Amino acid sequence: MSNDLVIKDLCANIGDNEILKGVNLTIRGGTIHAIMGPNGSGKSTLAHVIAGHPDYEVTAGEIWYGGQNILELEADERSKLGLFLAFQYPVAVPGVTVANFLRAAINAHRAEEGKDPKETAIPMAEFRKMLREGMKTLEMDEGFARRYLNEGFSGGEKKRLEILQMTMLKPGMVVMDETDSGLDIDALRIVAEGVNRLAGPELGALVITHYQRLLNYIKPNFVSVMMDGRIVRDGGPELALELEEKGYDWLREELAGAA
Amino acid sequence: MKQSITLKDLTADLIVEQAHAAHEPGWLAERRHEAWTFFAQSGPPEWRRTDLSGLAPDALTLSGAVGTELIWDAALAEQGVVFKPLREALNSHEELIKAHMDSAVAPLDHKFSALRAALWADGALLYVPKNVAADTPIHVRYTLPADHHMIMPRTLVIVEANASATIIEEFISADRSEQALAAPITELIAGPNSTVRFISVQQWGDGVYHIGGQKAVLGNNASLEWTSLALGAKVQHIEAETTLKGNGSRVNWLGATFANGSQVLVTAPWLRHIGHNAESFMQFKTVVNDTAYSVFDGMIKIEHESTATSTRLEEHALHLKPGARNDSIPGLKIDTNSVLKGGHASTSGDVDDEQLFYMQTRGLSKNEARRMIVMGFFSPALDTIPVEALRHQLEAVIEAKI
Ligand SMILES: Nc1ncnc2c1ncn2[C@@H]1O[C@H](COP(=O)(O)OP(=O)(O)O)[C@@H](O)[C@H]1O
Ligand SMILES: [Mg+2]
Repeated sequence: MSNDLVIKDLCANIGDNEILKGVNLTIRGGTIHAIMGPNGSGKSTLAHVIAGHPDYEVTAGEIWYGGQNILELEADERSKLGLFLAFQYPVAVPGVTVANFLRAAINAHRAEEGKDPKETAIPMAEFRKMLREGMKTLEMDEGFARRYLNEGFSGGEKKRLEILQMTMLKPGMVVMDETDSGLDIDALRIVAEGVNRLAGPELGALVITHYQRLLNYIKPNFVSVMMDGRIVRDGGPELALELEEKGYDWLREELAGAA
Repeated sequence: MKQSITLKDLTADLIVEQAHAAHEPGWLAERRHEAWTFFAQSGPPEWRRTDLSGLAPDALTLSGAVGTELIWDAALAEQGVVFKPLREALNSHEELIKAHMDSAVAPLDHKFSALRAALWADGALLYVPKNVAADTPIHVRYTLPADHHMIMPRTLVIVEANASATIIEEFISADRSEQALAAPITELIAGPNSTVRFISVQQWGDGVYHIGGQKAVLGNNASLEWTSLALGAKVQHIEAETTLKGNGSRVNWLGATFANGSQVLVTAPWLRHIGHNAESFMQFKTVVNDTAYSVFDGMIKIEHESTATSTRLEEHALHLKPGARNDSIPGLKIDTNSVLKGGHASTSGDVDDEQLFYMQTRGLSKNEARRMIVMGFFSPALDTIPVEALRHQLEAVIEAKI
């Protein structure tokens, strides 16, 4: 299926270090798929490689989305195909307001080859309405739109902005990298509700988390575990609970025993 | 001045003769004489980073006229605001001009300051009497007419006690194939409790050498917001200074320089603290592209008579191409034991890859992301420009340079 995200035998380095060592994973369109794993296991690396970060060198494997192997595409082209990465550490861009950035992003998505960008740009009134509604559902106050992108934002504000962007860009597949980290329960609830509102047959989600806590709010259909650059186990929601209860060492020992 | 005279043919006597012919007051003719004598006797200034090798001022012909446009809401005149060509103002406000002209700048500082003082031809006087709030922008625009080689305009701004004003000083021209020199002087006197916003915009066309001096002097509790934009010219050398003479005076000074092609843009902004409890903030931002070269040669001088000074200096530079260069030379001279707060921050480097990646993951192309980052870099300075048309025009100039 073209709205599945299919990762085959993916190996990736940063510098001379091999971080991903043959990842195989399929996120089916319209489903929520959690990836759990200890710190340093390569979850963020996987997220960055999917999004097209230029610092990672893919040495083997393929990533398919939207009917093509996306590895040759630039990050912006992947975005326009419908992929979205919610960052673990969103980046601050001083001087660029949230509103201007969002409008530029939406217009980039609406642009069509051979057409004047002015023609395809979102009408200002429509943009303002969309922005206002998006911010309202995420319980953000109006002044937020005039602030500089992620500059001086609290952890919760940053993650809300990630979800706001996701809401406005309407991706078909999102990768959420530890969206729960650094959030208090209130912020976590708001962020999770934001995701759940979008969830449905039109949205696939790869939800990366270290803790099971997030999965109480965003219910996954599938759970996979990553360790040392590989997917070591696949299961359903019960796998997350098992990990919560027994910890990662249990799985590590079990894998060592099996080998 | 007569159109045909070159610098090399000028003499002190000739300058005085012409001043008289133009019905200038005697004191002014004397000042011109003194300045010219200094100019003629002194060697070129030792500016290590400003490349003047392409400038041959001796061969430049002088023009008496300066292209000057005064843009303002003339209704301000009803409140007593005076805004007129400086030459004309010499007839109506001679005493005021005599009292303030050269009170901020030092004409005999070096060869070019003397040249400016000897030969300035026209300019503008802005006078805001005490207690008057001039609440619409007052804009003087100097242009370089196509057949001119050299202009030396002079702006004198006097804002009296409890008054406020926003003044824009702009330099603009088309590109030139032959060399041209602009050597302006700007003096700004801010009286006690006055509030002044000053926006200076240098956007000469290619081929112009800009060697300018800008000085502001602040009285007790005066407050100055100064934005300095430098975008144009072939070579720029601007010496700018804010003297915080009054107690409790404050300056918030934002600079934005963008050099591309083979431009050399040098700015030497100085802060001089004299008064007690004065506060200064200076933030200069520079973008360099292609093989351009830019210099921030800043200085904070805290004089012995000052106490409880607070000051902070930031300089940030972005490099868009490996061949582009920027030198940042911040200096601090403290001649007192009584400084309340001092701070300094500095960054320099390429456009941040993580910012580019973040923006690209939202669909922006690398070029579009880079454009937004650069515009964002300058936005604190651009946001202070109160005239929307000018702001948009400058944004377009900046975008074209990226
Ligand atoms: N930019 C980098 N340079 C060098 N090593 C890195 C870099 N990013 C990640 N790593 C290393 O890659 C491994 C996986 O990191 P990461 O993908 O962030 O793991 P996770 O998100 O699962 O905590 C870690 O050992 C980490 O130190
Ligand atoms: Mg991580």
